[in-house]
Amino acid sequence: MSQTASEYEGRAGAHRTSLVRARESFAIFLSKPLNAASFALTASLCLIAILAPVLAPYPYDAIDLAKGLTPPSWDNLLGTDTAGRDIFSRLLYGARMSLQIALVTVAFGMLVGVTIGAVAGYFGRWVDEVLMRIVEIFMAVPGIVMALALVAVLGPSIPSIILALSIRRITQFARVTRGAVLSVKTMDYISACHALGMSHPRIIFGHVLPNCVGPLIVLSSVLIGNVILTESALSFLGMGIQEPTPSIGTMIASGNEFLTFAPWISLFPGLFLLLVMLGFNLLGDGLRDHLDPRDGNVS
Amino acid sequence: MLLLLIVRRLFLTIPTLFGVALLAFLLVHMAPGDPALAALGLDADGAWLITEADLVRVREDLGLNKPIAQQFGDWVWRALQGDFGRSYVQNTEVTRMVLKALPTTMILLCLTMGSAIVIGCTVGVLSAIYRGRTIDYVARFISILGVSTPTFWFALLLIWSLAYLVPIFPMNGPIARHGMIAMVLPTMALALHPAALIARMMRSSMLEVLSHDMIRTATAKGLTKRRVYFVHALRNAVNPVITVVGFQFANLMGGAVAVEFIFSLPGLGSLLIDSIYQKDVLVMQGAVLLIGVVFAASNLIVDLLYMIIDPRVRL
Repeated sequence: MSQTASEYEGRAGAHRTSLVRARESFAIFLSKPLNAASFALTASLCLIAILAPVLAPYPYDAIDLAKGLTPPSWDNLLGTDTAGRDIFSRLLYGARMSLQIALVTVAFGMLVGVTIGAVAGYFGRWVDEVLMRIVEIFMAVPGIVMALALVAVLGPSIPSIILALSIRRITQFARVTRGAVLSVKTMDYISACHALGMSHPRIIFGHVLPNCVGPLIVLSSVLIGNVILTESALSFLGMGIQEPTPSIGTMIASGNEFLTFAPWISLFPGLFLLLVMLGFNLLGDGLRDHLDPRDGNVS
Repeated sequence: MLLLLIVRRLFLTIPTLFGVALLAFLLVHMAPGDPALAALGLDADGAWLITEADLVRVREDLGLNKPIAQQFGDWVWRALQGDFGRSYVQNTEVTRMVLKALPTTMILLCLTMGSAIVIGCTVGVLSAIYRGRTIDYVARFISILGVSTPTFWFALLLIWSLAYLVPIFPMNGPIARHGMIAMVLPTMALALHPAALIARMMRSSMLEVLSHDMIRTATAKGLTKRRVYFVHALRNAVNPVITVVGFQFANLMGGAVAVEFIFSLPGLGSLLIDSIYQKDVLVMQGAVLLIGVVFAASNLIVDLLYMIIDPRVRL
C-alpha cells in the first residue's frame, strides 16, 4: 500500500489514479478461488441483511401458536420456534440487526481508535505513553466480560450494546494504527512533508494514515466478524438484543431448553452464524495475504 | 539477567491490575442512579421498597459519602486484604462466593488449554509435514471451521449430539455431581477455538522453519526425518505458537463465561451471569475483578514461560 508514496516519487504509473489501482488490486484479490468464496459469503450476508424485508416469507414477529415447534418444511424452511414464528424469517432479520450493529460498532471503533493510535504513534514520547497506558487499562478485562458488565450496568439497549462492543474495538484499532504509523512516520516522504512545513494534522491525515490503510482494512474485516460473534454471545447470555427483536444469539439461546425435541431452533441460527464467521475469517486471511507488503504481491 | 527481566515483567503487571481494579470499581458507579440502590439490586423504580434510613446505612457501609478517589483507595486496600465487601442481595461475603467459584474455572481453563495445545500442535505439525496432501487439506479445513464456530453454539451442538443423541456424557452439572466426566463436554466446547488457532499458527510457523537452510543441513548430515522434524524444526517453530497460546489463554476466560453458563458449572463465569441476572452489582464487581486478575496472571505466566523457553527474548 504505497499509493501516496509512489505519487510523490513520481515513478512510472503515477498517472494512474489510486482508484484504478485499488480496482486492479481487488481483481487480483478475487482471482484466488478462496478469496472469491469468502467475498461471496460476506457479500451475500450483506444482501440478505439489506433484502431481509423482501426475502422473508413471514414477518419476524408473526406469532402462530398452532404452528409452534414445527420441524423444517416447505412452509417453514427452517422450522418454527415455540411461538410458531418462522425461524428462516427471523434469521434474515437477525442477520440485518447483527450486521447493522457490527458496522456501526466497527465504524465508531475505527474513528476513535485510529485517531488515538495515530496521535500516539505520530507524536510518540509522553503522548504515546499516556494514550497507550489508557488503552491498556481497557484491555485488562476480557472483551466479552467487559461488554457483559457494561451492558448489565447501563441496561440492555442497542446504544449501550454498541458502546460496550466499541470499547474493545477502539483498543484494537488504536494498537494496530499506532504500529502502522510508527513504521510509516520514519519514511522519507514524511520527512519531506515536515520540510515543506505542513501542519501535523495535515501530515497525519493526508500522508501518514493513507499509507496505513492495509492493516486497517484487514482489521476491519476481522472485527466485523468478531463483533457479530460477540454481539451474538451477549444476546445469547441475555445481555444483548431483547425479544421480540430477532437476533441470532437470542434465537440460539431460545432453543437451548428445546434441544432434545426441537433442535432446529438452535442449530440453524448457529450454522448461519458459523457461515458468517467463516466468510469474515477467510476474507480477513485473504486480505492479510493480499495486502501484507512483506509478500510484495501488491504494487 | 533473567531474574532482572522477570522482576521487570512482574512490575509491569501492577498497572494492569490497577486498570482491572479501576474498571471493576467504576462498574458500581457507572450505573445510572444511586450507587447505593444499585448495590441493593434495585433500580430507581424499586426505591420505594426500602426506607431512607436503609439507604443511609448502605451509603455509610460502602463509604459512598467520601470523595470518589478515597472510595477507590479504600476499596482497593480492602480488596488487597481479600475483602470484596458483602452482597446485600444474597447476604453473603463476596470473597467467599468468588473463591468458591475459582477452582471450577481454573480446572476448566487448564484442561482446555492443555488439550488445545496437544491437539493444536499435533494437527499443525502433521499439516506442515504433509503439506499439500489430503491430510493437510482436511486439517486446514477443520481448523478454519474451528476458528469460525461460535463457542456457545458448539457447546449446544455437543450436548445435543454427545449427551442426547448418543448419551455418553452428562448434559450439564458440576463436578461435584458427576465427577470429572462433567468436564469433558465443556472442555471440548471451549478447546475447539484455541486448538484450531494453535494448529494454524503451528502449521505456518513450522512451514517457515522447514524452509530454513539449517533444515537442509540437518537432512544433509543424514539425520532421520523424525529427528529433523521433531528436534530441529519443532524447537524453532514453537515460539510464535507460545504467543498465540498466551493470547488464547486470555481470550478463553471470556469464552468460559458462556460455557460455564451452558453446562451449569459453578465457576466465575456463572457467578458473573447470575450476579447480572440478580442485579447484584457487588458480586458482579468481585467476579469482574477476579476474572481480570486471572487474565493478568495468565498473561504473566505466558510471558515468563516465553522468557525461559526462548533465549533470544532475554537479550
